[in-house]
Amino acid sequence: MAKMDKKWVILCSTAVAAVYSAGFISTEAQATKVDSHYQAQVSNQAIGDSSSTVTSNNNQAKGNNSSIISSNSNQAKIDKSSIVLPKSNQTKRLYKDGTFTGMGGNRRGSIEVAVTIKNDKITDVEISNFDMHYSERDVVGLPNEVIQNQSSQVRNVSGATYSTEAFQDAVQEAISQAQNA
Amino acid sequence: MTTKKWLKTPKGYVTLAMLSFLLIASIGSKDINGILNASVAVLVSIIVDIIFNVIKKRTWSMPDGAIITGLIISLILGTTSSFGIVAVTSVIAILSKHLLVYRKKPIFNPAAFGLLLSVPFFHTEQSWWGAFGDLPTWTILFLLVGGYKITTRINKYPQVFSFLGTSFLLLFLMGHFNIGDAVDALRAPFINATIFFGFFMLTDLPTSPAKDKDQVVFGILTAATGTIIYGLFGGLMYMFIGLCIGNLYYFLKKRSTSKVSLNRSDLGNTRVGRYQS
Repeated sequence: MAKMDKKWVILCSTAVAAVYSAGFISTEAQATKVDSHYQAQVSNQAIGDSSSTVTSNNNQAKGNNSSIISSNSNQAKIDKSSIVLPKSNQTKRLYKDGTFTGMGGNRRGSIEVAVTIKNDKITDVEISNFDMHYSERDVVGLPNEVIQNQSSQVRNVSGATYSTEAFQDAVQEAISQAQNA
Repeated sequence: MTTKKWLKTPKGYVTLAMLSFLLIASIGSKDINGILNASVAVLVSIIVDIIFNVIKKRTWSMPDGAIITGLIISLILGTTSSFGIVAVTSVIAILSKHLLVYRKKPIFNPAAFGLLLSVPFFHTEQSWWGAFGDLPTWTILFLLVGGYKITTRINKYPQVFSFLGTSFLLLFLMGHFNIGDAVDALRAPFINATIFFGFFMLTDLPTSPAKDKDQVVFGILTAATGTIIYGLFGGLMYMFIGLCIGNLYYFLKKRSTSKVSLNRSDLGNTRVGRYQS
């Protein structure tokens, strides 16, 4: 088989590059979504009741200790801080009641969650939008895990690190929205 | 064959490129998991390949094809994939190489076939980390340099250009008419995947055509099928499905050519028989 002439190689390469550039430029306006997700510059929007009531029925007062703890889960292989809601009662509520949305994303898509908090407790977690290039089945059990653990830290589904990370970031964002100043 | 000679063969070129990518991507991501996964994938691929060669009573040859298959699989699967998933994906790939054959050659690209099945079976997250999907954009240059060298060596430009040209043209149209998610497909890590796929997987010698005309059809068919599937369903399996369709086209083409030549041969024999009788 004869080799392709160098001139043809250059010509064809230029043509392919031109078509690619046309596609890239024409989609540039929509690309902000990808960039914003990857740069973790997502904006969260709290919805529902965002009451800032500070009354509580706490028995074990722990003051205003920060509930953001660092976690090194071996299962998850994700070295990220996670937000754990206090299991004990306090003199002052650390979180507002209501439903808060958060978004997590990376180069492979994004996940949006709606987290409902009542009396400093996560009562419901819902994946409100799944836009990853992977299967949603990989993360379908994670909302229940968040409710059980009362934490954004979840066990990683084997190999499904990108989806798990995005989900975890989304929950953290939502809980951060709920934090009282 | 000496190592120096082997390195100049197409398989030598590809192996060297895959090893270089493995090293560069591992250093860039500061993650040794990819190298560990690659060791598992290559080891399992070699073992299964040798077992089949022993069963088929073939003479000993270097399992370089199995090494390439293992390397490609490990460069595409996420580095956090478990050893088990990496190993089973490699086994599926090598099984397809030995079981789905036509005239002693595999019908489907082994790595693509294994990776395709690993998605529905094991929900693998394919990251294309070895194609520098998570590294800065300029690292695509490594893919292009390695890709051009290999394509020149094996004379596969018609195939690569028709594949890349068709893919980008369809994605441009998708983006222009707001169909599917062309935005993602034209950017990292998907663009890395397309380039890696076009240069190093599509061009697999036993499973892709040699003639220029067939190469063009093969490239266009693979790209069109894959991109349409991506436009309709998204996901990550689109290129592998596209390649399997391309492989099927090549298989049918070989089979029809073989039948035609067989018929001619029969006809010739009959005539010869008549003349002799």
